[in-house]
Amino acid sequence: MPTKTHLIANGAIIDDPWVFIDDDLPLGDTPSIISLDRLKTEADALRSRNAKLGVVLRTDTQGKTKLGEDVRELAPYLDMLSIIAIDFPVYRNGRGYSDARILREEMGFDGELRAIGEVLFDQWSFMARCGFTAFEIDADIPLKTFNEALSELGEAYQPASDNQRGVLWRRHGL
Amino acid sequence: MYRYDEFDHKIVTDRVNQFRGQVNRRINGEITEDAFKPLRLMNGVYLQLHAYMLRVAIPYGTLSSKQMRMQAHIARKYDRGYGHFTTRQNIQYNWPALDRIPDLLDELASVEMHAIQTSGNCIRNVTADQYAGAIADEIEDPRIISEIIRQWSTFHPEFSYLPRKFKIAVTGHKNDRAAIKLHDIGIVIVRNNQGEIGYEVHVGGGQGRSPFIAKKLADFVPAEKLLAYLEAVMRVYNMLGRRDNSYKARIKILVHETGEAEMRRLVEEEFSKIDSSQMLNLPEAELERIAAYFAPPNYESLPAQSDSFETAKQNNAEFSHWVKTNLVAHKTPGYGIVNISLKPIGGIPGDATDAQMDVIADLAERYALDEVRVTHEQNLVLPHVKLDDVKEVYDILSNHELATPNIGLISDSIACPGLDYCNLANARSIPLAQEISTHFADLDKQYDIGELKIKISGCINACGHHHVGHIGILGVDKKGTEFYQISLGGSADEKASLGDITGQAFTEDKVVDAVDTIVETYLDLRQPEERFLDTYRRVGMEPFKEQLYAD
Amino acid sequence: MAQHSSKGARFQAVTANRLNDGEVVYFKDNGWVEDFAEAEIADGLEAAEALLTRASPDNLEVFILDPYLFEVSESDNGFTPVSVRENIRAKGPTVRLDLGKQATAH
Ligand code: HEM
Ligand code: SF4
Repeated sequence: MPTKTHLIANGAIIDDPWVFIDDDLPLGDTPSIISLDRLKTEADALRSRNAKLGVVLRTDTQGKTKLGEDVRELAPYLDMLSIIAIDFPVYRNGRGYSDARILREEMGFDGELRAIGEVLFDQWSFMARCGFTAFEIDADIPLKTFNEALSELGEAYQPASDNQRGVLWRRHGL
Repeated sequence: MYRYDEFDHKIVTDRVNQFRGQVNRRINGEITEDAFKPLRLMNGVYLQLHAYMLRVAIPYGTLSSKQMRMQAHIARKYDRGYGHFTTRQNIQYNWPALDRIPDLLDELASVEMHAIQTSGNCIRNVTADQYAGAIADEIEDPRIISEIIRQWSTFHPEFSYLPRKFKIAVTGHKNDRAAIKLHDIGIVIVRNNQGEIGYEVHVGGGQGRSPFIAKKLADFVPAEKLLAYLEAVMRVYNMLGRRDNSYKARIKILVHETGEAEMRRLVEEEFSKIDSSQMLNLPEAELERIAAYFAPPNYESLPAQSDSFETAKQNNAEFSHWVKTNLVAHKTPGYGIVNISLKPIGGIPGDATDAQMDVIADLAERYALDEVRVTHEQNLVLPHVKLDDVKEVYDILSNHELATPNIGLISDSIACPGLDYCNLANARSIPLAQEISTHFADLDKQYDIGELKIKISGCINACGHHHVGHIGILGVDKKGTEFYQISLGGSADEKASLGDITGQAFTEDKVVDAVDTIVETYLDLRQPEERFLDTYRRVGMEPFKEQLYAD
Repeated sequence: MAQHSSKGARFQAVTANRLNDGEVVYFKDNGWVEDFAEAEIADGLEAAEALLTRASPDNLEVFILDPYLFEVSESDNGFTPVSVRENIRAKGPTVRLDLGKQATAH
C-alpha cells in the first residue's frame, strides 16, 4: 500500500474532508468515517448527530479473513450515510467490486463510494464501472495518468453500475 | 463462425495497446515485477522453466483456416517452429520473448484472436464440444451461447479479481465431450416439454488438489435469463468464496462446504435480486445475430454413401483402420467428421509444427468448409468433410505424420507439459506418454484393448486431467526425484467419475510395466464388449492391485 | 514448486530467469551468465547466503526475476545440478534435445 495517498473524487484531485475515526476515539463534529460495528452499536445516538457520517467496510489487512463484512448489513442505515469506503486489503481481493454493485444497483446508494487500500492502475476502470466515484491512490500518480487508465479500454460488453449499457445491448440500440 | 464487428475489434486492439504500454513500462523499469506479473498473466503470459509461455485463446475450440495459418506463422516468427494444443482448447507457445509479445498479439488481433483471460483469477476461455454443429442429435450449437458468454465475461468489471480462476464449458449434446462436470460451471443445453431451448447449469466441478464432480443447480434457465443466472453464481462465489487459502479458493470448495441445497438457495436469492432490474435480459436480436454466424454452412446435397470412399476402404487396410477410429458420423448425409490425431506413436501429445499447422489450414480451406476444431483431448478436428474427399484428406494427413489411427485408444493419451517446461511441475509427463505409446505401438494390440484413456499430469494441479483418466498418472516429487501415482476408473464424460489411487507410487522406469500389468489384468477379466472402464466398474480395484503389487 | 536447495547441501549456485526473454541465467561475479558451467559455486551455507544476497536485485534496474539457490554436486567433470528440475533448466526440455541450451552446447 502506498505510504502517502491523495484522493481523486469525481474526476478531480481534492482535499479530503473526511476523517477515519478509530472505534475507541470519540466522534467530533467533522465529517467522520466509522466502522460497521460502531455504526451498528451506536446507530441511535448517531442519528441525532449533526455532522456527516460515513462507514468503511473492511476485510482484514492481509486479505486473509474468510469473508469481509457484509454490505447488506448497511441497509437500515443507508439514509444516514454520505460516504461508504470499501477497503481492498490487497488488489487481488476483488470482493469489493460486488459490494459496490450491490450498493449501487440493489440498495440504491447514491453517495460517495470510495476505494481505499491497494487501489492500483489496472483496477481503477473496473472500480469505476462498479460504481466507485472516489479513489485513494498513491500521491505520486498525477490525475492525467488516472484519467488515461479509465479510458484505456473504450468499450464494454456488459452492463454494470456506470452508464455504459454494454455492447451486447448497444448493438441493437438498447 | 463468429466474425468480429467494430466493437469486438476495438476491445481487442485497445487491449493489445494497453498491454504494450504495460510491457514497455516494465522493461523500462517503471513498474516492478510484483505489479507486472498479474498484468502479464491476465494477457496469457506465464514464465516457465526455460522462457515465457504465451497461451492463446481459441474460443470454444473453433478456428478458421486463416486463424490456423496465423498460428503457423506465429510458431515460425516468434517461437521455435511449433505450438502445443492444450486440454482447454487453447494453444501455447513455449519460447516467445516478452518484448515481442505485443507485436505477436497485434498479429493475432488481425485474425480476430487474442490471449485475453487465458490466465489469472478471472473467467477463462469458454470451452465446448468439438463436434459442435456437425454431430447429429444436437439440441443447439453450443458455440452460440459460448460466444455470448465469451463476450459477457470479457473484462467483466466485477469478476476480474475472483478468489481463483473460473472455467466454463458448454455441451449441446447428450454425450458430453467437453467434460462439463469438471468445470466451475458446466452448461448442458436442454429442451423442455414446450420445446423451448434452455440451459441446465452445473456448478462446482473441478480437478486439481481436491477434485469434485459439479452439482446441478438449475434444470432449465431460459436463454434470456442465462447471463443473470451466471452473474448470480459468480456473485455468490465472489462474496463467499474463500480467499484465505488458494487451495480452497475454487468454487468447488464453496459448493462442497456450503452444501448443494444451500448453494442453490443462495444462487436463487441472488438471481432474483439481479433479475429484478431486467438489465441482463439477453436481447433476442443479439441471440439471433450471433446464432446466424453458426448457421449450418452450405452443405452439398449428397447421397449418404460414397462409392469412392467405400472402395478406398476396401482397397486400403490402413485407411480403413483410420476410418474406424478417426472418422465420426456427420449429421449431414455424405459428410464425415475427421479427427486429426496429434499423438503420433512416440510423439509429444498436442504438439504441432508450423508446417503441420499450415497443412491443416489448407485442408480446412479446401475440404472442410474452412473450419478446424481443437479437442480437449489435444487433437484436432476437420468438422465437415465430404466422404468423397476423405481419402484425399487422409493421404495428405499421412504425408505429414497426422494420420495416426488411434483416437480414443491407449496411445491417444493426454499429457500436460510437466517438468520439461512447467515451473510448477514435480515430474515429467511427456516422456511417459511417449514411452506408453511406443510400448503399445502395435495397432492390432491397441484395437484389441479398445477404448482406454490415459491422462498424465506432472503435479497435483491436474492440467493433464489424471483424475478422470481411465488410467490416470500423476507425477509426485520425492526429494528431487520423479515418482508417479496411478489411479484407475476416472471418466470425464456424461457419467463422470474420479479415479481411485492404486497404492504406492512408481519410479519412472516402472510406470510402463505397471500400465502393461493393468492392461493385461483387464484383458484377462473382461467380458465380451466390455471396455476397460466397464470392467473396472464391474470388478473394482482389488484384482488390479493384486497384480500391481504382487511382489 | 519443486525447488531443492539449501539445508544440508554443501555446494550451491544461484539461478534466475532474465526479464526480457525469460532465459535461464546463473550468477557469476556481479553479473549473470547463460551457461551453467560458468556459474559461481558457493561452498557452505554461509557462502551460499552471501552469494544469494549479492545476486538479489533490490532495485528495478536489475532485470532478473526471482533469484534462488539450488544444490549442485561435484563430480569428475565439474559440477552438476542435483535435482531433475535444475538439470532440465540447465539444458532444455528432455523431450526436445534440439531446443534450449543443450541445442547450442558444444
Ligand atoms: C505451464 C504452465 C501452466 C501452469 C503454471 C498451470 C497452472 C495450473 C494450476 C495452478 C492449476 C490448479 C488450479 C486450481 O486447482 O485452482 C491448473 C489446473 C489446470 N490447468 Fe494448468 N497450468 C499450466 C499449463 C496447462 C496446460 C498446458 C493445460 C492444458 C493442457 C492446462 C490446463 C489446466 C486444466 C484443465 C486444469 C485443471 C482443471 C481445473 O481444476 O480447473 N494447464 N493449472
Ligand atoms: S499439472 Fe502441474 S506440471 Fe502439469 S502443467 Fe499443470 S501445473 Fe504444470
